[in-house]
Amino acid sequence: MVTSIILSGTAMGCIYALIAVTYNVMFSASRVFSFTAGTLGMIGGVLGSLFIARMGLPVFVGFLLALAGGALLGIVTEIVAVRPVLKSLDQHLYVLSTLALALMIQQFTAIEWSTEPQPFPRLFDIARVEFDQQYWLPMLACAGVIVGLELLYRHTLIGHAFLAIAEDNYAARALGLPERQLRMTSFALAGVIGSLAGFAGGEMLLAFFANAPMLTFYGFVPVALGGMGNNRGAVVAGLLLGLFQQTANFLVGGIFASVAVFTVFIIVLLARPEGLVGSALQRRV
Amino acid sequence: MDTKITKTVSELRPAGANAPAPASAFATALPFLALLVIGIAFPLFGGGYWGVIATRACVYWVLVSGLNLVVGFAGQIAIGWVALLTLGAYTTSVLAAGNVLPALPPYLALAIAALVGAIFGLIVGLPALRLRTFYFAITTLGFATIVTQVALAWQSVTGGGVGVPGPIFPEPFSSQWGFYYFCFGLAAICTWMTANIAASRFGRALTAIRDAEVAAEASGIAKPALLGTVFLFSGAVAAVAGGLFASLQSYITPDAFTLDLSVLFFIAILIGGRSSILGPLLGTILLTVLPEFAAPLVAWSTFLYAVLLLVIVLAIPGGIAEMLDFKNRRPLESDRAIVPRPELVARLLDTAPDAGTLTLDQVALSFGGVRAIDGLDMEIRPGQVHGLIGPNGSGKTTTLNVISGYYAPQHGAVRLNGAALPALTRHQRAHMRIARTFQTPRIVGSASVLENVMIGGTIYGRATFVESLLSLPRHRRDEAMLRKTAMLALESVGLERLAAVRADRLQHAELRFIEIARGLMLRPSFLLLDEPAAGLSAEEIARLSTLLLAIARAGTGVLLVEHHPDLIFDICHHITVLNLGKTLAAGTPAEIRSHREVVNAYLGG
Amino acid sequence: MSLTRRQVLSSGAAAIASTIAKPAIAAKEPILVGYLPALTGPSSSTGVGINRGIQLAVQEINAAGGIDGRQIELITRDTQSDPTKAVNGAAELTRGQKVSVVFGPVNSGESLAVVPLLARTNTPQIHPCWVDTLTDPKKYPMCFRNAPTNQQIGGAANRYVVEVLKHKKVAVISDTTGYGTASVNAYVPMLKARGADVVYQGNVDAANPDLKPELLRMQSAGAEAIMPWSVNAGFLSRIINTRGQMNWDVPIVGQTTLGSGQTKALLEKPDYWAKVYPNNFRPVCYSTDGKLTDRTSAFLDRLKSAKIEMGDTLLWWIALGYDSPRMIAEAMKNVGSDAEQVVSYLNNLKEFPGVYGDMSFTPDRHDGYPDEEVVMVEANSLNNGAFKLAPGYSA
Repeated sequence: MVTSIILSGTAMGCIYALIAVTYNVMFSASRVFSFTAGTLGMIGGVLGSLFIARMGLPVFVGFLLALAGGALLGIVTEIVAVRPVLKSLDQHLYVLSTLALALMIQQFTAIEWSTEPQPFPRLFDIARVEFDQQYWLPMLACAGVIVGLELLYRHTLIGHAFLAIAEDNYAARALGLPERQLRMTSFALAGVIGSLAGFAGGEMLLAFFANAPMLTFYGFVPVALGGMGNNRGAVVAGLLLGLFQQTANFLVGGIFASVAVFTVFIIVLLARPEGLVGSALQRRV
Repeated sequence: MDTKITKTVSELRPAGANAPAPASAFATALPFLALLVIGIAFPLFGGGYWGVIATRACVYWVLVSGLNLVVGFAGQIAIGWVALLTLGAYTTSVLAAGNVLPALPPYLALAIAALVGAIFGLIVGLPALRLRTFYFAITTLGFATIVTQVALAWQSVTGGGVGVPGPIFPEPFSSQWGFYYFCFGLAAICTWMTANIAASRFGRALTAIRDAEVAAEASGIAKPALLGTVFLFSGAVAAVAGGLFASLQSYITPDAFTLDLSVLFFIAILIGGRSSILGPLLGTILLTVLPEFAAPLVAWSTFLYAVLLLVIVLAIPGGIAEMLDFKNRRPLESDRAIVPRPELVARLLDTAPDAGTLTLDQVALSFGGVRAIDGLDMEIRPGQVHGLIGPNGSGKTTTLNVISGYYAPQHGAVRLNGAALPALTRHQRAHMRIARTFQTPRIVGSASVLENVMIGGTIYGRATFVESLLSLPRHRRDEAMLRKTAMLALESVGLERLAAVRADRLQHAELRFIEIARGLMLRPSFLLLDEPAAGLSAEEIARLSTLLLAIARAGTGVLLVEHHPDLIFDICHHITVLNLGKTLAAGTPAEIRSHREVVNAYLGG
Repeated sequence: MSLTRRQVLSSGAAAIASTIAKPAIAAKEPILVGYLPALTGPSSSTGVGINRGIQLAVQEINAAGGIDGRQIELITRDTQSDPTKAVNGAAELTRGQKVSVVFGPVNSGESLAVVPLLARTNTPQIHPCWVDTLTDPKKYPMCFRNAPTNQQIGGAANRYVVEVLKHKKVAVISDTTGYGTASVNAYVPMLKARGADVVYQGNVDAANPDLKPELLRMQSAGAEAIMPWSVNAGFLSRIINTRGQMNWDVPIVGQTTLGSGQTKALLEKPDYWAKVYPNNFRPVCYSTDGKLTDRTSAFLDRLKSAKIEMGDTLLWWIALGYDSPRMIAEAMKNVGSDAEQVVSYLNNLKEFPGVYGDMSFTPDRHDGYPDEEVVMVEANSLNNGAFKLAPGYSA
């Protein structure tokens, strides 16, 4: 039982962490949170199942197409739901526009794909063992993304540009950085990460449209607890969340587990609204 | 040369005569009356099936009317309000069915559900005071899921997946049309009540919190108390809607309370438009009825709602209300002049008891390593204009913010008549009759100019929330008083012709004068002005000068933070010059003008 | 999808029938039959299967002249497995369309809301839902059930687990629908009364992708048999798959949907379907000598010639769907379409010959299915739509 808890808890935690990173990458690029992060995770699973299981494409091709689909959705989010409202004075329209877009994608998937969870194909045709691919695939994906982002931010020009935009938007623009293209690229990157989360976790989560609201919530918890824009905090918080949730699941069952997770989340958040790691924001008058 | 000459004293009309005529009140009420008539006559032309749909729309509106105050007026993104519907439905049903206690009469069960709903509305809503927007939205979603899970798990009370039968209301409300009239009646009452709040100081305060929070605080509006009240009310009506919903369904199970339903409520308000009652009402009817027109629409309904939301957000953020706002489409006169009437100021600022002097006593404030204010002494006397000037970054606005309670000084204190003002209690300043304006005008764009000014007098209202809800006499007296005073304030600053215009249509200079009018509503002992002349033409600055002098003559102490040396030297009785947080010089204008260091550092020439 | 489908068939047959002397008005008007299936949504497997039978039967009846010259007009409202939509649909059928009789809903959760509503409008109702409380001759005198009750089903399944397979430690699991919850609530006491030890009892969200925690808890509690009660093929297939992945050798005994083609299609490996024993109904199963009854064989032939798909559903659902309009037609042929008359006819119905079972009602018993015909079968013995009886199962 304990091994099962650790394996599935870490795996789920990695999926939640990846969605949290998706939120963070979008936030760094635009200072807004997008409701589409969880939807991207759902799409990764659905596209994987569609291309590989239903259409019979080879695994690697299906994988690339799923990531491409995520990138596309990320760009669509930026163009349709984020860019138009960044200009407006009302700071909170982005909540509504990204919510609307996320709902549209979810409902479309529900009607056209299925309202029921569909099986996700087994990616590598090896026998089932305890430390099965359904567990180490999300862990691998999470590790890969973290390492990749570190390399990107520290050692590439475009990574530095991303950091500049996140740190000080006006200064970056004054330096001549193409803000709009960088933002679109950020959102495409976020789309890839989100889709990867859903694809890697496909066997655990199945291809199901209702994964979207679930990942929207559980993927945001690490962001809130780890501090906005803080990827390391998000990963730690995500792993903790996954382990806590699965422990509760195995011990008391699904219903009580979600109540427990939510109660803890709300209490922590009310005690420290800026998260366990983040810093409180000063308000400008 | 302005062609709109100020009137002579003998031609002065009584203040308030220019208030928007009552005829427009009828125009506002007309759509509601039309809906009322259609609703009452509905059984005559609608069949049994449409009766069910109409009843459903009424039930949904009962919830949405309350949620409208939270989402539309207060601007809180409470997406998961279906949690309250679930609570109300189960509470009413369980109490009426007698699972736990002996069966209660349905009306009593409904009343208790309202109470439970109020409490939980507060619980679900209060995180809004601590959390940022997106975080709060996510927590409401979490609440919605949790309530459903609890309903599933708590089998002994809620029946778990099996559910419970809904309450049946006794004669004459047990027949289909009887129940319809019951729901319609409650919907009509909710419309009336929330319309009353919208047209009360509470409604205006809510929009102020939403769109101009700093200005709301400066006007004395206490966000926690107001939001708490609104959450209580909204939770209560949502729970009542839940009880009605359970009766309409005749049997409730947890899977009836979907996220789709929550999304419907939320989107109905946003499609309808914020700060409106009619808009969300039409939005609710539209969204309830739309899927019934074509069978395939039922499955796509949530998709359509989302598309509508996206279109509204991108194209017409004001929603249906903005589309129906014909009077704000009429073009404004293009060369308007702001012509204050300083002689009215004295009438507005009736004898305020002498509050004494406002002093800064060795105030020091640092941000991290930067000393923003470094041992500042200043004295603002009633009846005098005190100027505060200095280069950018010298600490002028910071000083003003310290006085108005946004920052707490690390050393020293701000004193009113010798007694230190408590720091960081910015919404208390209004009660001490300290008013202020802001460097960038903080205005509620979607409200009219008159409503914006009336916000300034919020703390002078005496009616409670409940009295406003029910439009009791004290509420009506408040409104009349605030309206009259606001018109007087607008006339003093010269903007009474624009009273009914939506504030975001105005020019920058006009917004500055509106802020002053709003400040005057407080009948302040002290008026703190943060660069009021920025962006004004020379003509307008001259008029501003006469206005400010009149305000001082009426007994108010004016602190004027400014960059325009002419304005400063023209009207100030005393001037303090700041540089790097320290007093560079202080004295009369003549002294300052010739002060060597000031001339070198700042004035030049 | 929710569609109001009016099946207006050719009036040629009606013209022939109208030559029989009857009041002109009554001869022309179609008989409106309301129908509330769940054709989409998580609990739609039953509805889809039943639907095929109903459509076939209505076509046949209308082609043969209808009921005394009056054609049956089937007015369908897809409930989408949603009790709210079921209520809306029932309201429209009774108040808007003014149907003479309603068949359905087919899922218990939806019927819980609809039965009281139809009783208030005095509409005769026949439904195939299993939850025990869904018939009550005193409270709902016009409501009849032409399917077994939970008591009958649970009795057969529990008897098989405890007395035939001889397992005392049992895990009972269902989804969170009304049907699932009511089943667990009914079966756990029944098992205890038989002397079994219910070591695990749980309601799990049918959409939950990971059932391993639940099965691990069952395993560590020492369960010797798993009894799932759900009509959700995805949920059931995940239970079967998880048992297989865990290599846990225990029998799965429970709801008929365990044997449906839909469930089979979602299995990871075909051999996972071994040791799965759903319940079913003797008339549509192979007897111990491997034969089907004549009536069933004839029905299977009829389905083949009408090209009706069987492989992704269950035969008994199609049969139930087929039997229902025929029973209604039988009643109306004898007494007309007046509600009171139809009800009093049904109250005295004795052994109406249905394909999947003979229905009988009395004024005190509105549950029409005979006890002794509920049996357990072996899922992977599926052949041509029918199953073999489960091993160790005596007649």
